[in-house]
Amino acid sequence: MKILVLLKQTFDTEAKITIEGGKISRSGVSMIINPYDEFAVEEALKIKESLGGEVTVVSTGDDGVQDALRQALAMGADKAVLINPGTDDVDEFTAATVLAKAVSGMEYDLILAGWRAVDDGSAQVAGRVAEILGIPIAKLASKIDVEAGKATATCEIEGGTEVIELPLPAIITAQKGLNEPRYPSMKGIMQAKKKPMEKKGLGDIGLDAGAVAAKVKVLSVALPAARAAGKVFDGEPADTSAAVVKALREEAKVI
Amino acid sequence: MKNNLIKPITQEFSEYLKDESRITGAAESISFPRTREDVVTIMKELYPKGIHVTVQGARTGVTAGAVPKGGHIMNLSRMDGISAIRKDNKGSFCITVQAGITLSGLRKQIKDRNFDVLKWSTESRITFEEFCKAPEHFFSPDPTETSATLGGMAACNASGACSFLYGPIRRHITALKIVLCSGHTLTIRRGETFASGRKLDLITDQGHSFTVYLPAYEMPKTKNASGYYVENDMDAIDLFIGSQGTLGIITDIEVGLMPFPRIVWGICCLFENERDAVVFAAVLREQLTNIAAIEFFDRDSLAILRTQKKENPAFARLRIIEERLNAAVYIELHCDQENLAIESLAKINQLMIESGGSEKDSWVARNNTNRDSLLFFRHAVPESVNMLIDRRKKEDPSITKLGADMSVPGHRLHHVMSMYRSMLDESGLQSAIWGHIGDNHLHVNILPHNEEEYKKGQALVALWAAEITKLGGSVSAEHGIGKLKTVFLTMMYGQDHVNEMAALKAVFDPKGLLCAGNMFVPLVAER
Repeated sequence: MKILVLLKQTFDTEAKITIEGGKISRSGVSMIINPYDEFAVEEALKIKESLGGEVTVVSTGDDGVQDALRQALAMGADKAVLINPGTDDVDEFTAATVLAKAVSGMEYDLILAGWRAVDDGSAQVAGRVAEILGIPIAKLASKIDVEAGKATATCEIEGGTEVIELPLPAIITAQKGLNEPRYPSMKGIMQAKKKPMEKKGLGDIGLDAGAVAAKVKVLSVALPAARAAGKVFDGEPADTSAAVVKALREEAKVI
Repeated sequence: MKNNLIKPITQEFSEYLKDESRITGAAESISFPRTREDVVTIMKELYPKGIHVTVQGARTGVTAGAVPKGGHIMNLSRMDGISAIRKDNKGSFCITVQAGITLSGLRKQIKDRNFDVLKWSTESRITFEEFCKAPEHFFSPDPTETSATLGGMAACNASGACSFLYGPIRRHITALKIVLCSGHTLTIRRGETFASGRKLDLITDQGHSFTVYLPAYEMPKTKNASGYYVENDMDAIDLFIGSQGTLGIITDIEVGLMPFPRIVWGICCLFENERDAVVFAAVLREQLTNIAAIEFFDRDSLAILRTQKKENPAFARLRIIEERLNAAVYIELHCDQENLAIESLAKINQLMIESGGSEKDSWVARNNTNRDSLLFFRHAVPESVNMLIDRRKKEDPSITKLGADMSVPGHRLHHVMSMYRSMLDESGLQSAIWGHIGDNHLHVNILPHNEEEYKKGQALVALWAAEITKLGGSVSAEHGIGKLKTVFLTMMYGQDHVNEMAALKAVFDPKGLLCAGNMFVPLVAER
């Protein structure tokens, strides 16, 4: 069983988002594997452990993304492929085009990915890749069973679950609850240094800048409005409680 | 002068009668000073009247140090400002805080570099600008309870997991301001005032000079928070750190910050055999230098976590620990280069295998999110134990958690560990052992179901205190003596030396009114 995992590097979920020069600042922010993609990596490793095979993690981005790929290798993936799109101006179209093209040159039975990335939350890339490759997709899986030639995914839908059977090769995207991703062991981290990390440019996979140029243009980026500061009422309880009631009635107009 | 800082104790203040020791005391009045001047005013008002004063921070102590025994409660939690920043002669940043600032508040302000500089001096503001441009800094003392105040931490010489590398708070305090019972203030900067042998001359900011004679005992050569810190030719500041509020009221504290290491990795090593874990911890500390913390969890601690994960949704994110695993050692690696971290990892892995562990049984957290969930694992143990005891206490109010907080010299680790284990197994009491094995300092907790077991546990802890004293250890390495472990302090140093401590206190507090009952029964020379 050859399994590919599409993986995106995102901000640490604890990171504080700041904007500098109209862009989200990356300075001082630690980067992690997108948590939903981490479920996909874990599931791939579990399938490999029960059925045998090989897990390859695939990502697109600059050299910094190697860190996330190394983490997946440390968890137990066998090799990593990183395609540098040569630009920071990447939208869902760019990412999907690059990943689909890279994947189309590889052998695979199953492709796993997170259902969305925690940064832009677009939830488009896996679907686009399936479309380009012409293979079936099941989204938001909370359980995946794989046997010869087919996969069964239990997927979250509004108000319930849906069980989908897919002929392989197929793509399945991971939802929270699918599994509990492992930590790498010390041995895993040391081994990861020696595992193959294939780095490619657009030319290496038969694409050029024009073919992947982003179709979405970001006009501006803004932080959500800060929550207004609370108000502290100082004084004796009898006076302050009257003042609080007055403020709730006249300023906040909630009572 | 009518003093409106002092309020009578009413129902609304009842929570201030107790602390994390879950012991309830009594008091007639309470105050929440906001400035050092307020503290002086209160002392000048109360001391001449012979009223007892118990000083409180966030009441997170577990040995009842903040529990009042009648009289007045002075709660410093509203003195929570940061007043200055400077660079010392080694180029390190030092910041001055009021005693009531919480550790979590301080950490957040340091991390966000967001201080209220409105009232700062020009010099401080200039240094602050430099601080904002400098690499990330941190304040290393890390007790589990981050709602503790800096004043409370200074008063009991608090430490934490990373004290293994960075030492307790003592090592990071560079200056103190202390209000004395007389209403005078003392300003002590580290490196400026020293004892001559065991004789220490001090002079207050108001110009009153006096001499104190330090007790003659030798402190144990281990992590220690029992009794006054005394040694020949010592720095005066060290006498006040860990003095549990008995000498004066610490109002302002200057602490040194350190650059945050570029790499902080958490590593959890799991073992099937508890002895192997202890062997591992012991060799680890001898062979690696960039380890900040070595923490141990025994089989019972892990079993409590497994139950919590199953029964309590708040603990659902705990990692699954397989049943075959009976002990865990948590390590925090601090270094500045990734290749060094990987080299250390290889060494740790090798030691783990040599100690009888399996290389598949380790978890490495290399980013903040993963490390947070490992820290959650570490903090979940004491929290779960407290929850368990609170539940049992509802059925039998006579019981409470029994904890030993003792340390021993390095070569005695295996000896005490097997002592705890065999005596606990023999007693049939439920227990959980965890803590700072790197410093030979384990929190041994007994979890009684009823009064009978509680008494049995008390007797056991007393036996340990006697044995630890024989081994040259400390009866309290971290929590302090407070009001609960005074018997053990006497056991450790003997009555004569405890009398010397009381005589020392009497120089500062002749009426024996300030935080009386902490560490020992004070002398009452005049009243």
